[in-house]
Amino acid sequence: MQLNNAQVVIRPRNPWEAADLGIHFARQHAGLLLGSMAILLSAWLGLLSIVLYDYPGIAGLIFWWCKPLYDRLPLLIVSRALFNAKPTLKQSLRELPQQLKAQWFASLTWRRFSPSRSFDLPVTQLEGLNGLPRKQRLQVLSLRNSQPASALTLVGFHLEAVLLIGLFGLLFMLLPPEVYANWDWRFGDWLDDESEAHWLDHLSNWVYALVLVVWEPIYVACGFTLYLNRRTELEAWDTELSFRRLTERLQRAAPLALMVFALLLPLSYSPSSQAAALCLPPSLNSTPKAERLLSQTLTSPAAQTSIQSILADKPFSNKRIEHELKWGEDQPKPKSKEERGTPWWLKYLIESWKHTSGIAYVAEVVLWLLVLTLLGWLLWHYRRWLGEFVGRLQNIQRPQRQRPSTLFGLELDSQSLPADIAGSALALWNSDPRQALSLLYRGLLVHLLDQHQVPIKSSHTENEVLGLLDQQQLPALYRYSQHVTQHWINLAYGHRLPADRVIQQLCQAWRTLEARQAGASSATPREAHA
Amino acid sequence: MSETAKPTAKPAATPRQKAHQLLQAVRGEINKALIGQQAVVDDVLCALLAGGHVLIEGVPGLGKTLLVRALARVFGGDFSRIQFTPDLMPSDVTGHAVYDLKSEAFHLRKGPVFTHLLLADEINRAPAKTQAALLEVMQERQVTLEGEALPVPQPFMVLATQNPIEQEGTYPLPEAELDRFMLKLAIDYPEAADEVNLVRQVTRSAQADALEVSQLRTLLQPKDVQILQKITSELPVDEQVLDYAVRLARATRTWPGLLLGAGPRASIALVRCGRAHAMLRGGEFVTPDDIKACAAAVLRHRVRLSAELEIAGQNLEHVIAQLLEQVDAPRL
Repeated sequence: MQLNNAQVVIRPRNPWEAADLGIHFARQHAGLLLGSMAILLSAWLGLLSIVLYDYPGIAGLIFWWCKPLYDRLPLLIVSRALFNAKPTLKQSLRELPQQLKAQWFASLTWRRFSPSRSFDLPVTQLEGLNGLPRKQRLQVLSLRNSQPASALTLVGFHLEAVLLIGLFGLLFMLLPPEVYANWDWRFGDWLDDESEAHWLDHLSNWVYALVLVVWEPIYVACGFTLYLNRRTELEAWDTELSFRRLTERLQRAAPLALMVFALLLPLSYSPSSQAAALCLPPSLNSTPKAERLLSQTLTSPAAQTSIQSILADKPFSNKRIEHELKWGEDQPKPKSKEERGTPWWLKYLIESWKHTSGIAYVAEVVLWLLVLTLLGWLLWHYRRWLGEFVGRLQNIQRPQRQRPSTLFGLELDSQSLPADIAGSALALWNSDPRQALSLLYRGLLVHLLDQHQVPIKSSHTENEVLGLLDQQQLPALYRYSQHVTQHWINLAYGHRLPADRVIQQLCQAWRTLEARQAGASSATPREAHA
Repeated sequence: MSETAKPTAKPAATPRQKAHQLLQAVRGEINKALIGQQAVVDDVLCALLAGGHVLIEGVPGLGKTLLVRALARVFGGDFSRIQFTPDLMPSDVTGHAVYDLKSEAFHLRKGPVFTHLLLADEINRAPAKTQAALLEVMQERQVTLEGEALPVPQPFMVLATQNPIEQEGTYPLPEAELDRFMLKLAIDYPEAADEVNLVRQVTRSAQADALEVSQLRTLLQPKDVQILQKITSELPVDEQVLDYAVRLARATRTWPGLLLGAGPRASIALVRCGRAHAMLRGGEFVTPDDIKACAAAVLRHRVRLSAELEIAGQNLEHVIAQLLEQVDAPRL
């Protein structure tokens, strides 16, 4: 980069002035910029349109998504043109693949929606920085001028929309009304004929490409001038340029001054010195160290020795020794054993690692994405199993957690029940038949809750409890429960008393049930309370 | 309504058993015509026994109209049908006075409401003023024409149908009108096996694609229905069961997910419907299950879902099911 060759006046500008300079610059090189962009975009969109003819929407999306890559061509031209090395169309297109290769993946993925795209691009493309250095560099650069760069992107977005709508409007105005009289104006469904609709969608892609041909170079040039401006501020390019100009001016003046000096030199010499210069043998006069005045009392060697001795003494030489304590930091440390012993291959790996941290970062992101995708897939694949597992866990826990203490107004606490339910029911039967049946029913409910974990809730009616029990696949218990419930409902809601033998049968059945339960598990709660 | 019988060990009364047998026959006959919709048929019979009106909602082609035609066929009384259209006038429903040139006097021409069974087809297609023409006759069982109150024949039952998906050009029923329907039934697609039966039967029929009701026997006369209704209304209801019905209706008023709760008509409908349900299953008294079984149909059109739940995509059926899960069953 030769600052001297800069085609613009380099001086600190305010951001808007800098952006304006970019527009001016783009206008100056409009032919090359528009031409190269038109060639690049038409080739790319043409390819997309052919490959994805049936999916014009996808072609348009891909074309739009790759926008950051198109920026590199105008930047290549603009950056060269600034320093008076404007490439030809052919050169710029030939160099393009090289320019596209650098960090293309980052540009199309996590940097795709960066608002200061045009401002960051020179760092990536011209300075060739990547990873941490790029980040640090951008941090420094973005302290100023990054906000205008974001604003520039926003303006660009609106400008693109305006141009696009304007172009569509223009096309529409040129159509005779008969053509669009039958159009259905719903989005994406303009024409009945499928193929014609594709054609129209492709046309809209091309209109967008036309907008990009015009706007993208301006956008990139503005971003570049903002970047230049920031660097001018940071690195004091204007001052450097002034110095360079000064140097140039002096260099131009130097031969003249030398000539004048040479012309004036003979006039300033005295005749005696000229004579001495001419008379003395060249060998004697060649060096100042040569011994002279050898025929005089004080020869030059004697004079030099006495001068040396005088200079070595006071007050010319004033030597003294001072002692002070110093921290050992300043002295270079002897190399530790490990460092000396570091094998060359490890050093090489570490060095290469430093340079590949960007790739490592990408790999890390990709790996994490893979892990998350795998996890999501596993959850999705085993969702039914998980649901059943969780459901079963809840089922197991519910009876213990949500065990109601009263159900249908009956006390369900096992301690509120007598030890021998059947005996108590029979004893109560003659005096209070309702209470007797209630006792049996309550005993059944406690049994269902405690022994079989039937998830009974307060809102369940008697028949619903039976329904729940039916799912438990316990035929004997179900039959007994059916009888008890039936008689209980008849008594409670129908006020119908069962016959005496019925209560005896029920009590007998309950005892059988209890005995079977005791046989099955040696410690039932009933027995524990007994 | 709230009778508490003394505990007795008496066997069931015979008329009830007879009534139950008759109802079973009616049910079987209607199910012959309307295949795979047993639950809806039961609910319609419940409404008939309880003397209420029914609003049937379902997508086209599920046999809403067929159900009513089959009921009309099995029930020997009068049947008339009004197709509700946007230009239908209230006088087209209730009737009006016409001037007779010969006698030079006004004569009352009674509208189609003067019947036993009235099918109001696609009721939400008529504007609110025409829908309102049914208000009086549904509640009071009478029509006021030219200042004269004319009673409609007994038993009287309105069966209205509406389509839930087409909302364009329809007029949603006002709350007052909805409240007068005892039940709102949602008719759904039949089961696979039932549909196979249905298709077999329809394709065998002489008519193009309609199920015939002409072969159904007439089993009920208007008088029989009145007797059945009387027997039903005499079924004993325990205080606790009655209390449960009232608690259910009251719970809708304070339920967090509901903007509008059900009024006292809902409690009344719950108990009457519970009686009919008990009658239909051959019970001698009403149990909490009877109330619970018809609670959804009774409450669904009387409550309105709050905006938050509606935005959250919650279903009214789901909220009612939650409510039934939370309200305690009767305590003794």
